[in-house]
Amino acid sequence: MDANRREILKALMGGSAVAALATTGLPLATQAKPEKFELEPDALGLLYDATKCIGCRACMPACQNANGLAADVGGSGGLYMQPDTLNAHTKNLIKLYVAADGHERSFMKQQCMHCVDPACVSGCPMEALHKEPHGVVGWSSTLCIGCRYCQVACPFNIPKFEWDKVNPKIVKCELCRHIVGSTATEPACTKVCPTHAVIYGKRSDLLAEAKRRIKEKPGFYFEDRVYGEFEAGGTQCLVLSHVDYSNLGLPKLGKESPAAQTRKVSDFVYRGFLTPVVVYGGIVAIVRNRWKEHLEHAGHSDSGETHGEEKRA
Amino acid sequence: MTEHWERCIRLKEPLKTRPFLIFAGIAGLGLLLGLYREVTGLGYVTGLNDGYSWGLFKNWNVTALTALGSGGYAVAVLAWIFNEKRFHPIMRTAVLTSLLGYGTGMLALGFDVGRPWNFVWLADPRTWNHYSVLWEVAVCMTAYFMLALDVENMPPFLEFLYKSNDPKKKDLALRIFRFMQRTFPFGIAIAFVLPSMHQSSLGSLMYLAGPRVHPLWQTPMLPLLYLLMAYILGFACVLLVLALSAYSWNLGWDKEILGRLAQVMSWTTLIWLAVRFADLSYRGALGLALTFDKFSIYFLAETALILVPSLMLLLRAQREAPGSLFRWTFLMALGGLFYRFTPTTLAFSPLGDYRYFPSSFEILMSIGFTALAVAVFLYAVKTFAILPASRGKIAAEEAMRPFDTL
Repeated sequence: MDANRREILKALMGGSAVAALATTGLPLATQAKPEKFELEPDALGLLYDATKCIGCRACMPACQNANGLAADVGGSGGLYMQPDTLNAHTKNLIKLYVAADGHERSFMKQQCMHCVDPACVSGCPMEALHKEPHGVVGWSSTLCIGCRYCQVACPFNIPKFEWDKVNPKIVKCELCRHIVGSTATEPACTKVCPTHAVIYGKRSDLLAEAKRRIKEKPGFYFEDRVYGEFEAGGTQCLVLSHVDYSNLGLPKLGKESPAAQTRKVSDFVYRGFLTPVVVYGGIVAIVRNRWKEHLEHAGHSDSGETHGEEKRA
Repeated sequence: MTEHWERCIRLKEPLKTRPFLIFAGIAGLGLLLGLYREVTGLGYVTGLNDGYSWGLFKNWNVTALTALGSGGYAVAVLAWIFNEKRFHPIMRTAVLTSLLGYGTGMLALGFDVGRPWNFVWLADPRTWNHYSVLWEVAVCMTAYFMLALDVENMPPFLEFLYKSNDPKKKDLALRIFRFMQRTFPFGIAIAFVLPSMHQSSLGSLMYLAGPRVHPLWQTPMLPLLYLLMAYILGFACVLLVLALSAYSWNLGWDKEILGRLAQVMSWTTLIWLAVRFADLSYRGALGLALTFDKFSIYFLAETALILVPSLMLLLRAQREAPGSLFRWTFLMALGGLFYRFTPTTLAFSPLGDYRYFPSSFEILMSIGFTALAVAVFLYAVKTFAILPASRGKIAAEEAMRPFDTL
C-alpha cells in the first residue's frame, strides 16, 4: 500500500513535470500580458443626449464618407440612404422610438458602445478585436479569421459582417481612429452634429457633463442616470434619454461585464493552468499502473489460451 | 445468443456496396458545395445573418456533433481510469468514431470561418488571446484532432503496415508500436486532458453571450453540463455505432459490454440531470420551465428526451434486449444533442428582428460532412481491424499478437 502510494506520487510528479515543461509558456505569457480590462484614465468616448437630437441624420452620411462606406439605399428603393439596422454598410444609425400610445418618443444613436471590458475583445481568439490607445475598440483585418464570435458575444449586437463578400470584414464604429489625430480632431459624427447632441471627449469629462445635465433637470432623464456608466462593466460611449433605455435597444445589463464573468469561471476551473497540469499528472500516475497490468495480462494470455475466461471471471 | 467480444477484426466485405456509394455521393456533394461557398460569400449560400451569425456549421457540426464524437475519450476513461477492462475490445471503434465526429466538426468549421487564410497566425503565439474561450477551443480541439486522436487511431494502421511483405514497413510498424507502448500513459493522458478542456469550454463559449441566452440555459455551470453531456453522448454514439454494426455485419451481441455501457450512460445522465436541476433551482430559474412559452417547451422536451431513456435503461430487461437498448439510446442521444444545440441557437435571442433557419445549401453541406464520416467509417472497418468480434468470428490471420495491446 505504502509503496504503491509512493509510486503514484512519483508518477504524479514525473507527469506534472512533463506537462509543466510543455506548457510553461502558457501561464507565464498570461501573467505577463498587461491587464486591459480596466478603465484607462484617458479613455475616449461619446456622449449622446437623445433629448438634444433632432433626428436630422447628418451624422450618418458623415460617417459613411469618413469610413469610405457605400450608402445603404435598400430601405428607400434606391433613392436615398435608408438603412433599417446597423449592417455591413452602416456603422452609425439614428433610430426613432415611438411608444405604442404615440406620445413618448426618442431618437437613438446606435453604434459601438466601446465597452471598458468588451465581450468582443475578450472573445476574439486572435486579438483582431482589441483595445487601441484610449480604450477605443479597434478591429484588425490581418488577424481576423471571420469566426464571428464577436457577433455572438456583443450584448448590444453591434459588430456586423460582410455576408456577401469572399473577403469579408467585421464592420463597426472605431471612433474614427483612422483620422482622429491626423486629419481630424474628432469623429465625423460629432463634428457635423448641429445641436451637439453627440459630443466627443474623455469619458471622465463626458460622464461629469452628463451628471451635470441630470442635476440641472432632476426627473427629466430616465431614472436620473446615464446609460453606460455601469452597464456591462461600463461603456465609453454614454447615452442620456428621457425614455426607458431598454426601449432604445439598450438592454438591462449588470454591473459586471460578461467578459469578467466568463474570466471568473475560467479562472475558477483552470487556476492559471494548474488544474490541467495536475489532472494530467494524476492520469499518468493511474494509467501507468493499469498499463503495466494490461501488458502483463496480454503477455500471459499469449502463452496460455485463457484470455477470455480470465477476463470475464 | 449472447457472445463475448474479444478482439478486433477486419470485415471481409466488398467496399463499394450501395450504402457506401450513397454516403460517398452525399459527402462529395457536400464538399463540392463547400468549395462553391469558398468562392461566394457566406450570405449567398447560408441563412446566417448579423443576429444569428452562428448556425448549423458551428452549433450543430461543432458544438453538438463533437460531443457525439467524445466516445473515444469517454470509453477510454472507463477502461483506463475506472479499470473496466471489458471495454478494451471496443476501444478501436470508440476512438474511430471520435476521429470522425471531430473530423466533421473541423471540416464544418473550416468552411464556416470567413477569413480562413488568417489561420496561419495561429502559429504565432503573440497573436493568441489567452482570455478567449474560443481560442482555447480552437487550439485544444485542433491539437486533439490533429495529434492525439490520430495517435489513438494508429494501432489498426500499424497492423496493416505490419502485414505487408515489405520488411522495411514491418520494421517501421513495430518500431512505432514499441514507442507507443513505452509512452502510452503519457500519450493517453493528453487524450484525456484535451477533450476535458475543450468540451467544457464549448459551454463557456455561450456564457460570454450573457443575457442573450435564455436563463433556462444560461448558467456558469455550462462548462460542467457540456462536459458531462459529452460523456453521455460519447457513450451513446459508441453504443449506437456498435449496435448498428453488430446488426449489419452479424458481429454477435456482447450483452455485458453494451449493457454496462448503457448502465454507465444512464447513471451519468442522472448526475447530469441532478446538476442541471440543482443549478436551476439555485438560480431561481426553475419556474421558467413551466411558463409554456417556446423556451419552456424546448426545455421540457429536452428534459423528457434525456430523463425517460435514462430511467428505462436502468432496467436490466430494457438494457439487455438489443431493440429496446437501441431505441432508448437513440432517444437519449437526440435529447443530448438537443441540449448541446439549444443554448447556441434556439435559446439565443439577439437584439432586434432577426430570424434564422438554415438554407437547404447549408443543410446539404452539413449532411455531406456527416455522410463523409459514415463513408470513411465504412472504408475503415473494411480495411483495418476495428470492429470487435467474438472468438468464433476471429479468423486465424487476424491473430496479430504484437498489436493486440492497443
